[in-house]
Amino acid sequence: MVLYALRRIPSALVVLFIASVAIFAVLHLAPGDPAVVLAGPDADAVTIAAITHQLGLDRPLPVQYAIWLGGVLTGRLGQSYVLGAPIASLIGRGLGNTAQLTGGAVLLAVALGFAAGTIGATTRSRVVRTAVVAFTTIGFAVPTFISGVVLVLVFAVWLRVLPPGGHASLATDPLGGLRFLLLPALCLALPAAAVIARFLQTSLKTVLDEEYIRTARAKGLPAARTLLRHALPNALPPVVTVLGIQIGQLLGGAVIVEAIFAWPGLGQLILQSFVSRDYLMVQDLILLAVTVFVVVQTLTDLAHAALDPRIRLG
Amino acid sequence: MLGGTALVGFAAPASAAPKRGGVVHIAQVPDVIPSGLFGQNFPNGAIGGLIYNTLTAYDHRTLAPRPQLAKSWDAAADGTAVTLQLRSDVKFHSGRPFTSDDVVFCIKNLQDPARGSQLRSTASVVSDLSTAGPGEVKLRLAHPVSNLFDLFELMFIVDRESLPDMLSGKNLIGTGAFTWKQWNPGDSLTLARNPAYWKPNRPYLDGVELRIIPQTQALLAALQAQQIQLALGLAPKDVVGLHGNSAFETAVGDTHDAAFYVGSNVNVKPLDRREVRQAISFAIDRERILKDVFSGLGAAQSVPWPQSSPAYDAGDARRYHFDPERAKQLLKSSGNEKFETSLAINSGLAPASAIAQIVEFNLQQVGITTTTVSFDAAQFIKRLAGGDLPGLWVNVHGFGQMHPATLVVSAFPFNAAKNASNFHDPRYTAAVNEAWTATNDRAQRAAYRKVTGVLLEEQFVADCVLTSGTYAGVPAFRDFSYNMYDYLNFDDATLS
Repeated sequence: MVLYALRRIPSALVVLFIASVAIFAVLHLAPGDPAVVLAGPDADAVTIAAITHQLGLDRPLPVQYAIWLGGVLTGRLGQSYVLGAPIASLIGRGLGNTAQLTGGAVLLAVALGFAAGTIGATTRSRVVRTAVVAFTTIGFAVPTFISGVVLVLVFAVWLRVLPPGGHASLATDPLGGLRFLLLPALCLALPAAAVIARFLQTSLKTVLDEEYIRTARAKGLPAARTLLRHALPNALPPVVTVLGIQIGQLLGGAVIVEAIFAWPGLGQLILQSFVSRDYLMVQDLILLAVTVFVVVQTLTDLAHAALDPRIRLG
Repeated sequence: MLGGTALVGFAAPASAAPKRGGVVHIAQVPDVIPSGLFGQNFPNGAIGGLIYNTLTAYDHRTLAPRPQLAKSWDAAADGTAVTLQLRSDVKFHSGRPFTSDDVVFCIKNLQDPARGSQLRSTASVVSDLSTAGPGEVKLRLAHPVSNLFDLFELMFIVDRESLPDMLSGKNLIGTGAFTWKQWNPGDSLTLARNPAYWKPNRPYLDGVELRIIPQTQALLAALQAQQIQLALGLAPKDVVGLHGNSAFETAVGDTHDAAFYVGSNVNVKPLDRREVRQAISFAIDRERILKDVFSGLGAAQSVPWPQSSPAYDAGDARRYHFDPERAKQLLKSSGNEKFETSLAINSGLAPASAIAQIVEFNLQQVGITTTTVSFDAAQFIKRLAGGDLPGLWVNVHGFGQMHPATLVVSAFPFNAAKNASNFHDPRYTAAVNEAWTATNDRAQRAAYRKVTGVLLEEQFVADCVLTSGTYAGVPAFRDFSYNMYDYLNFDDATLS
């Protein structure tokens, strides 16, 4: 197993190195650079040249790459070209906020999806079933940039029960933080909740038609116990698979929701940094994402190898 | 009033006693970029006005400078020296007294190209700085300039001891009404009342909480939900939508500092022909752009100067009006009745796409087929700065509201030595130099006529619509103001 790990880790490092070169090259080959953005539309060539020099962008690309990589390897991510603030703290704050948003969305998606899916599969009322179908169809079909605006209009502008956007720390102000979190998390959760509800409803219906469920009912087991103890656990596997995919999509969808609700997360940070060609920041953010992916893949491979000796011996 | 010269927004009734206290919540779309405060490029200059003071402040109608940190000034008869007398009761937020050395530092700072200041050309005319005690500074100029007080209007007086902290956004120390407390990039900025502010009993507010809301729709929603008391830079259609709603007040600035124009790269045929550029200018329906894109908030005109400018002339402003027949005649006489070219837009500039659609339709009507090419902000600015935009483009410029010389020496589209259009003409260079160095009213006005004459004749920049920043808030927030570059001033603002 140790030998397998030793064989596997170098290839992960090679992937990371190639990724770092690719990220650096693609960004620096893209037209536009931070110096022209900082200098602004009315700047002359002397000003742009001075800012280019100040940022170190007039050095040869291999030197710039070496400086960047050296910084990453020694934990010095540097400062944002545009904002001037330390990149590590900007990424840390953005990451925490995005984790809060997606975490809240996952909880809401699971709660809403399970409720709707279970009700849809078990109700005999046509009205309720139609309502569940309507919920899942609308939740799935309406894009977040529309549902977000509608949620803001209803809950923030008309009813004024929740803030239309912004952010407060859950650590220092839990109640305020939850108030700010609820609308964006709900907006982000709706499509995922609809998918979960659909899958659970279908899966649950199939399970409820199984003979062992009929037997349980015939033996007089209460309906709730039959559902929760026997039907639901057996209906879950496909739902769990879908939930995993949905979590990935929630992270992607957070970019739009963060913009609508002025949520200062990682999506906004990447977007703004790329628009202003804040090279260091974008490089660090993308390399972070690639590193997370490579680490997860490597750990998965190691777990598979631990579970199946044929893999590590093959 | 101690030097406050800006227009007052949401003015309270004259009899109302000012209320002390309260934290005002305001919001804007762009993030705060501390290092951009020297560049006069980023809209965060607005917030800079709350932390920093300037040496003087213009009267919006006459452009006459009024005292701020400089209480008086004397200019030498030949225009090559200016002596400023400074206030002696001013302290930085750190507690250090403001002195003439700080003025010397700030001017030298702007002379550094790395600061990206668009006033660098004017700052660089200052060839020597000397002090006579803490309250007096003398500026010697390489040659007389007509726009020195634009420098004094726009240059923030920053603390020379904490410049690195300022550039990194760690701490911004000025002499202004509010102190820098906490900045969360992309999210919020907290400012607290400066208890040692040099204006007696000011400011009335206890603090300012700025939120960054990247979407204008979300900005509007935040105001409608009364989560904020002032929204900066709402889209014109949203401002018009609030008209008549007693829960909100709206104001459009009187600075007219954003001029949307269609530029031509004169290296691209047939845009090298003056008649073709004039034809394009006659083909553009400026009134429609004003109505459809800016909801009527602004002025449709063919010169960069607002009515408050000494270079403004009503006849010049209307010279190029919507006249497709005239455009066709000009194209015919130039031998270019039909041709194709590109129309570049900056996708990061909100109204550019809508303006481009109107311009594209207008040009099609006179025989010019355009292909709209969208660049993101970084690409667009790089091509603009390099004079590489492949034909026509839609963009915005500022500085028309200041002294006319500032526009033609500081705004890149108009720079005589090198500009985005690659336009060079000795007549224009001479007129620009004349406008910059003329020091008496009569000579200045004559020079401005020459500059405007070349601009109107050559049309390498076809100005279309002049607009201003918008302010939308709740009636409870009153008596804020701003300078000619939209630096906010909350010295007298109150929240009831």
